[in-house]
Amino acid sequence: METYWYILAGLPTTLALSVLAFAIGAVAGIPLMLARRSSLLLLRAPARVVIDLSRAIPPIVWLFIIFFGLAETGLKFTPFQAAVIGLGVVSSAYLAEAYRGGLMAIDKLQWEAGHALGLSQRDNFQYVLAPQAFRVALPTMATFAIALLKDTSLTYTIGVNEILFRANSEAQVGSASSLAILAFAGALYALLSIPTAMVTRRLDAAMRSKVAQ
Amino acid sequence: MTHKDAEETDVAPASSVSPLPARADPIVRLTGITKQYGRDAVVDGVSLEVAEGNVLAIVGPSGAGKSTLLRCVNLLERPDHGRIEVHGHAVNAGEPTSERQVAALRRSTGMVFQSFNLFPHLTVLENVSFAQRRVLGRSRQEADSRSRELLARVGLSDKSDTYPQRCSGGQQQRAAIARALALDPKVMLFDEPTSALDPELGLEVLTVMRELANDGMTMIVVSHEMHFAESVADEVAVMADAKVIEQGDPKEIFKNPSHTRTRQFLRAIVER
Repeated sequence: METYWYILAGLPTTLALSVLAFAIGAVAGIPLMLARRSSLLLLRAPARVVIDLSRAIPPIVWLFIIFFGLAETGLKFTPFQAAVIGLGVVSSAYLAEAYRGGLMAIDKLQWEAGHALGLSQRDNFQYVLAPQAFRVALPTMATFAIALLKDTSLTYTIGVNEILFRANSEAQVGSASSLAILAFAGALYALLSIPTAMVTRRLDAAMRSKVAQ
Repeated sequence: MTHKDAEETDVAPASSVSPLPARADPIVRLTGITKQYGRDAVVDGVSLEVAEGNVLAIVGPSGAGKSTLLRCVNLLERPDHGRIEVHGHAVNAGEPTSERQVAALRRSTGMVFQSFNLFPHLTVLENVSFAQRRVLGRSRQEADSRSRELLARVGLSDKSDTYPQRCSGGQQQRAAIARALALDPKVMLFDEPTSALDPELGLEVLTVMRELANDGMTMIVVSHEMHFAESVADEVAVMADAKVIEQGDPKEIFKNPSHTRTRQFLRAIVER
């Protein structure tokens, strides 16, 4: 029993990691998306490289680069810090693309309607386009959030004291059956993921109706 | 041209190639408007004037450039040549245009689109109030009370808190008219406002437009609604192949078109 409590105690770390990395992505994704959409090649090209690289390199490689690689240059992070940064980088790229997809889905007639009313470029973006784009992007964002939650398990490789790290160490010591321990860890991830998916499906249906197709 | 000059009017400047002398102060004056896509002119050297309080209907076959010309008036399309003047605010094609000039033109005009283009994430009331607050700086209370007044005028008092997709096309278009009117435009631009509506719902919209015209609103209406053009418009301009080929009193033109192309177009409508 103690074994399972010990593993369960890794849950806050898993959650904190997911929430922080997602928050970094949600914020950093905005300027990244704006740069990616810019008419200036000088902004657009580097944004594209950053987004493509962030997504092309496997998350675990990012974690190793930041934790082991950068340590060589003197930039030392705790495992948790490295994990937040690494997953944050990946999140920024994915969420920038989710935002961009949302904006592309909004009819250009909505821009025109705003312009014809004399709204400034900024107001038109902030109050007309962005709220609608967000609604379109929401399912993509939720799918990514679930993937991110599961990817936090990768951070056990750099020693973050989260669910899988604890399950793995308990299994190694043999405090209980490995199968039971790992199944318990798996069940914890499922318990977090499945309700998230259910909530977003319902949100999506409610919000999709309030968007110009 | 300054605002003061515009008010003196009646005497058109020498550069104006207006085919008709304005009866009253022209509040819209388009001079030699040309819009090209690649090498094709969609609008080719069109000059038009609309006197304050008048309704100008622009009719003609699809692809004649009617909508493009209308969209030049509020600079949704940037003309390649020519000059646009609305209520004393002028923009010359080819000269650098400041954000303020564009804003002034757009503030003088209200536009109603074929596809309504209401904001789907806002209620009908919010649709009408929103730009009043952001563009005119009205308080929420001021804006909402003005919106309710206008929604009553277009017969939508009971739809204030409804989202656009819960409204019929006719209701959406009337809400769109209220939204445009809420900014107190000097000129209303209608771009085929009934083309996406069945005849019954179209009639609701035309009725609102007719009332608006009776109240003295200056309007430019691109439409295939010939009965509306004939009974409401003070003047009609027939466009074909990027040019205005005929212009004048709608009753005259519909009864006795002088241009073969107009005759052909009108016959197609009658024979439907």
